[in-house]
Amino acid sequence: MGCGNTSKPGLTNRVFSCLAGALLICFGQYSLADEQPAFTLQGFGTLGAARTTSNEVEFVRDLSQPRGASQTWDARVDSVLGLQANWQINPQLEAVAQLVSRYRYDRTFTPEFSWAYLKYEPSPNLSLRVGRLGTEFFMMSDSRLVGYSFLTVRPPGDFFWSLPFYNIDGADAALTLPLGDHLLRGNLFYGISNGQIPLAKKQWNIDGSVMAGGYLEYHAGAWLLRASYANLRFEHDLPVHDVLQNYMSEPLVTQAAAYLATGNTRSHYYSLGAIYDSGPWQLQLMLNHCDQGSNAFESSDAGYVLAGYRIASVTPFVGYSWASSETRGNALNPVVAAIMADAHVDQKTTMIGARWDLVHNMALKAQWDAIRGEPTSIFPYRQESAGWSGKMDVFSLTMDFVF
Amino acid sequence: MKLNQIRSLLISCLLLLLAAAPVQAELVVVVNARCGVAAMSRNEVINIFFGRNRQFFNGVQAQPVDMVDAHPDRARFYHALVGKDLADINAYWSRQVFSGRQQLPPKMQTSEDVMKWIVSQPGGIGFVELAKADARVRVVYEFKP
Repeated sequence: MGCGNTSKPGLTNRVFSCLAGALLICFGQYSLADEQPAFTLQGFGTLGAARTTSNEVEFVRDLSQPRGASQTWDARVDSVLGLQANWQINPQLEAVAQLVSRYRYDRTFTPEFSWAYLKYEPSPNLSLRVGRLGTEFFMMSDSRLVGYSFLTVRPPGDFFWSLPFYNIDGADAALTLPLGDHLLRGNLFYGISNGQIPLAKKQWNIDGSVMAGGYLEYHAGAWLLRASYANLRFEHDLPVHDVLQNYMSEPLVTQAAAYLATGNTRSHYYSLGAIYDSGPWQLQLMLNHCDQGSNAFESSDAGYVLAGYRIASVTPFVGYSWASSETRGNALNPVVAAIMADAHVDQKTTMIGARWDLVHNMALKAQWDAIRGEPTSIFPYRQESAGWSGKMDVFSLTMDFVF
Repeated sequence: MKLNQIRSLLISCLLLLLAAAPVQAELVVVVNARCGVAAMSRNEVINIFFGRNRQFFNGVQAQPVDMVDAHPDRARFYHALVGKDLADINAYWSRQVFSGRQQLPPKMQTSEDVMKWIVSQPGGIGFVELAKADARVRVVYEFKP
């Protein structure tokens, strides 16, 4: 069992860190001057503060965070700093490393290499990448941390919180086909997931889980339509053995552990998205469905609509999102039932906010999320207590920048 | 001076300023004259400048060139092309860069540099004022007034 696996980095982790580190250091000296610099160093970041109206749960950006915001302002949820080095080795070959520091599973801001890959482009519209890659599990999930690139304070929670997976060690291929003045783009990826997902005081090790998927995208003028599919085969079981042992005895523990096993189960993720982006308007509609193979998780549906309209340098926006999961029902006993209930979500969120592009490459955002859910909706949160009503408001302020 | 005099002085200053302000010359999209492209649709221009499509219809690799934010042509170009402010354009590119999809095209300081780039690259494509488009390049897209 992957019980309580600590922060020991896996072998691939270390290899990638070394490679990427070497890249950052060795080629730092080359830099600029030319018209077409072979080496570029760029960065992005967010300084954020969020608070909620409830002390019964802690609000997190997604399940990769072990603690979150409650009634006092909290900077951990949204603050992030990223640094990216690109080295154009020749016109077809590029090496990229991205180092990101954010509040993560082990309650620290330890920087991690979120990207470290080689990109080869044998022809202008075909790109092959190998190394550590962010996945576009759902539309835009590969740039979830780059606040400057999107309208809202954070990607709509109901849609994205269930995605604690950020990258894979593997490969992907993307091909663009022009069809008249429309474009069709396809992407396929395959790799081994890495990382930890915090679970109460423990961490669930998702190292070694095989992830594969792809998407098809159709660009027609201001419209972008997309369908995607991905699946993930978990390598390890949830670290629940200790809990089971505390409340049950053999052979029930073994039986319950087998029932709740996640190792070797497969989850399927489907999503559909439509974006309209023209002039002052930005409209988005996204839907997803997660089909969970393990009894420990519930299959779920989620979606959001978002509309923004730019007026001078301010873009006010409104959005509505929802997420609900299907209860599996008959559990073996109360302990197992309690563990399974942990995976339930049933809520809707209305968001209102504005992005203000006040100076070059910097934006200020303010947002109000009104979360209206059932008291049983606890999967998206941390530290939930019995008094949780399912309803709260979240207030967020961020300053996003790129450099 | 009386209030009336001040007012008429201010008005004449304003009129002078208006008359002196240069009429904004039309921006056009130009390509290297030898790349074999004669005309493009607005969507084709958008696809190239946003890096979504990297090839012209004839298979030649497109090599777009952009301008620095400080140059007024950049804001005018994107406003005419997609009706968006530079902040929107820069937000778009931050997603492209930090999701590893693509790097920014080179950004030039002056229109002369843009022309130099286009002429030196077989698939060079950029935007300049119509008056600056000489025989070395071909105009493939004009913004209808």
